[in-house]
Amino acid sequence: MRWRNAWIVMRKDLDEFKKQKFVIGSIVAMPIILGVVLPLAMFVPMVTMVPLERPWDINGLLQIGSLPADAVVPWINQTLEGASFDATFFQHTRLKNASLTNCIIESCIIENTTVIDSTIQNSSLSSSYLMNVTVIRSEGTELDGRFILAVSSDLAFLKTKPSEIDQVLPMMFNMILMIFIIIPATLPTIIATYSIVGEKNNRSLEPLLATPTTDGELLAGKIFSSFIPSMGSTFLAFTLGVVLLDIVLIPKVGYPLLPNLTWVLSMVLLAPTACLMSVLACVLVSSKVNDVRAAQQLGGFVVMPVIMLMIGVLAGFIFLSPVMIFVFAGFYGCLDLFLFFFARAIFNREAILTKWS
Amino acid sequence: MLSCLIQPTSGNAQIDSYEIRKKADAQKIRGMIGLLPEVPGLYETLGAYKNLDYYGQLYGVPKKQRDESIQTTLTNLDLWDRRNEPVGGFSKGMKQKIAIARALIHDPKYIFLDEPTASLDPMAAKIVREYILELKKKGNTILINTHNLSEAERICDTVALVKNRTVKIGNPKELAKGLFTRTISITMQKIPPTLPNDIESLGLVSQAQVIGNRLILNVRNPEEDNPQVLSWLVKQGLQVQFITEEEHSLEEVYLKLIEEAAR
Repeated sequence: MRWRNAWIVMRKDLDEFKKQKFVIGSIVAMPIILGVVLPLAMFVPMVTMVPLERPWDINGLLQIGSLPADAVVPWINQTLEGASFDATFFQHTRLKNASLTNCIIESCIIENTTVIDSTIQNSSLSSSYLMNVTVIRSEGTELDGRFILAVSSDLAFLKTKPSEIDQVLPMMFNMILMIFIIIPATLPTIIATYSIVGEKNNRSLEPLLATPTTDGELLAGKIFSSFIPSMGSTFLAFTLGVVLLDIVLIPKVGYPLLPNLTWVLSMVLLAPTACLMSVLACVLVSSKVNDVRAAQQLGGFVVMPVIMLMIGVLAGFIFLSPVMIFVFAGFYGCLDLFLFFFARAIFNREAILTKWS
Repeated sequence: MLSCLIQPTSGNAQIDSYEIRKKADAQKIRGMIGLLPEVPGLYETLGAYKNLDYYGQLYGVPKKQRDESIQTTLTNLDLWDRRNEPVGGFSKGMKQKIAIARALIHDPKYIFLDEPTASLDPMAAKIVREYILELKKKGNTILINTHNLSEAERICDTVALVKNRTVKIGNPKELAKGLFTRTISITMQKIPPTLPNDIESLGLVSQAQVIGNRLILNVRNPEEDNPQVLSWLVKQGLQVQFITEEEHSLEEVYLKLIEEAAR
């Protein structure tokens, strides 16, 4: 395949795309409405009305602490009582009446202890005070504190019980993240469905197919010309959304919540593969139908695998961890490869030009 | 089919030893041919320059050569100053000319034009026809597919008359000569009513009739028989004003051939 030809086709399509002000408008407006305006509309009233300076649980937000370079030797399989520790790593240790700062605590039992600026994993906590602490896959009772980021954890607090809004928050964050996956999967239905059938209806396909361009080059050009605006618009909305959400939330939580590792991986791996899958399916549909409307109707179905992921996430069946993102991105990537070769195999110049019913 | 857009159901064709049936050859054939489809199929939101440049790139024309070729073509078409205007706003004739220029951007060996003047107004059709004749003068091999027989007659050196199959191939004038007895029209001041019968009895003409002040004669061999006919008419004291050969249009040729093929 001569990538130069695919590049030429893509550049021409983008040139044409630049002239379609209404299409550009919808491509830019949809992600901004869904990924920026909608989340802000949800969060702004919440942060202005509800004091968030208390423990709250955000599933899906992963923030793993790291020890400073001068950290002390790890404590393993010990029982420590009434001591203060700074920048220390604990494993399988029982900590009682202690004060811990900048520590990483893994698989420990913590009682009557003050933990500040630390990360706790796979541990059991009771009657402790936590300040600016990330708690992962742990459980706790009779806790108190501020700025606690709990991931897949079951924590019970003394003074402040998680309110209904706190319980809704993790779902909202997951939903917003899923919006940024849905957007690049949906946008190609506007552009990519038009790619082949649009040229056919404008009668510009015949001279194009009469050039020495191969099927693969033509398809690759069409795919990239839909992929680039879709992902560009998504990244724009993502950047705006994250910055504005942080601006809204930082005064309440004290530090920027977004983007975390899950969100970054989602945007780098999951969103592009989902977008490519949608583009490929839409281009394939576009090469098989005679009408742009029919292509757009059928193109709507290609979002189904992403919708299923969204349902899985919102229903709690799927937890969007980095590993899961790799799994889904790998799955979508394989599907992308299959769709490209399938589209190229069934691309039939003669049928496209002569079949009108 | 010859431009490798559709496959033949049977048979084969070769262009410069490349077979249209072979996929590898098809790509090479497409590079040798400049195609004007029935509808120009330009990208209406783009300018004439970008339309031509796009195809120049796809045909692999080097940038310098492409730029020069586009500038020359658009200047010849009086469109250089409007090269960046969307072609959607151009007249049908202009679009057709740009589409022809597009077919020529890579300087193809063979040019296929499908109904080049169809649905154009007479002025636009004239512009396009003159453009094709210019190409013909330059020595390009042009294949025109048309229902406009008078246009084919004016432009083409060789015509193939097709009705389900190729009925006849040849030069339009030669085809007419082969099909029809050659007809001579002689204009005279006064034509006696008995003249057709008298001249038929000479044995030089197969049929004679009078239309107005013209004597229409079907002559088997005008080059040899016309002088004898003329001297006979002069001897009869008749005043001959003009003598011309009646020509049969390609349309008449076509209709006669189709009629014969149907028999």
